[in-house]
Amino acid sequence: MKETNGAAGNKPLNILIVDDSATMRALLHRVIGLADLPIGRIYQAPNGLEALKILETHSVQAVFTDLNMPVMNGMELLREIAKRDNWKDLLRIIISTDGSKLRRDEARELNVDLYVEKPFRPEVVRDVLCQIATADAH
Amino acid sequence: MSSAKSPLLTPTDLHDTLQAALIEVGENAYFVFVEPCDAGTFTTLAEQERDKSHRDAPVAWLMASVRFTGAFSGSVEIVLPERLGHWLVASLLGMTPDDPLPDAQVFDGVGEFANMVCGAWLSRVGDQSLFELKVPAVTRMASDWNPVADGRGREEVMCRMVALNDSPMRIRVRAQ
Repeated sequence: MKETNGAAGNKPLNILIVDDSATMRALLHRVIGLADLPIGRIYQAPNGLEALKILETHSVQAVFTDLNMPVMNGMELLREIAKRDNWKDLLRIIISTDGSKLRRDEARELNVDLYVEKPFRPEVVRDVLCQIATADAH
Repeated sequence: MSSAKSPLLTPTDLHDTLQAALIEVGENAYFVFVEPCDAGTFTTLAEQERDKSHRDAPVAWLMASVRFTGAFSGSVEIVLPERLGHWLVASLLGMTPDDPLPDAQVFDGVGEFANMVCGAWLSRVGDQSLFELKVPAVTRMASDWNPVADGRGREEVMCRMVALNDSPMRIRVRAQ
């Protein structure tokens, strides 16, 4: 995976959560809020297409995306993000039940920063955010 | 399969991996102790659910099903009392069991439970394979539906029964 470099100093991090499950979005929102980091806005989208609309119109530094979603799935979303030069610094984190080697390889080719398998303990997401902050500090 | 049988694993492996997936999801995401049980215990726990329901009202049961395709294809089907579903979703979200939740959220959370179990199981049986999981379908069973009387069906590949906080749950893998 590439080096994380999206968080800008102590500037609050705007985050986009993409998951078709409202329960998972609520869980991630809660867990992200527990992290001891400056978090700005947390946006939510139920699929990749809605996520693209948010990315087009809002400043976002990190995307947490599921893979298996209707309308536009997570890999399709990541391919669209990879096409756009102005989103090259966007942190990309997959949160998925699919932990297969093939899917991880596919994610690596799309410059995904981190891959978290469901089920996950809340501390894992907190640690992911801390990794982002730490990478930014160096 | 095109049936839900991995060419690489024995039936025992399939049962063990499904049980491991259940325990991983239950204990890591929903903070609940998952205890394997036999058919007799499942029946007893299902009957006890009536005692826990309000004023002899019929026990509401939910069925969550996730279809998958890939190196082999089928579906994972989970049956549980709605009360347990409510408890699981509340636990996931850091709420108490008495906190009210809309039906839609309970259905969504139970579907996500099934999605995680299916994904965790497939990751174990076919790490080198890509699978596509469909969006979970969750339905409330009719009020006279009885999980104990619900037959296995020809397409059933395996079945596990577990107790979560003394409530019953049954997981079936079906071939397509």
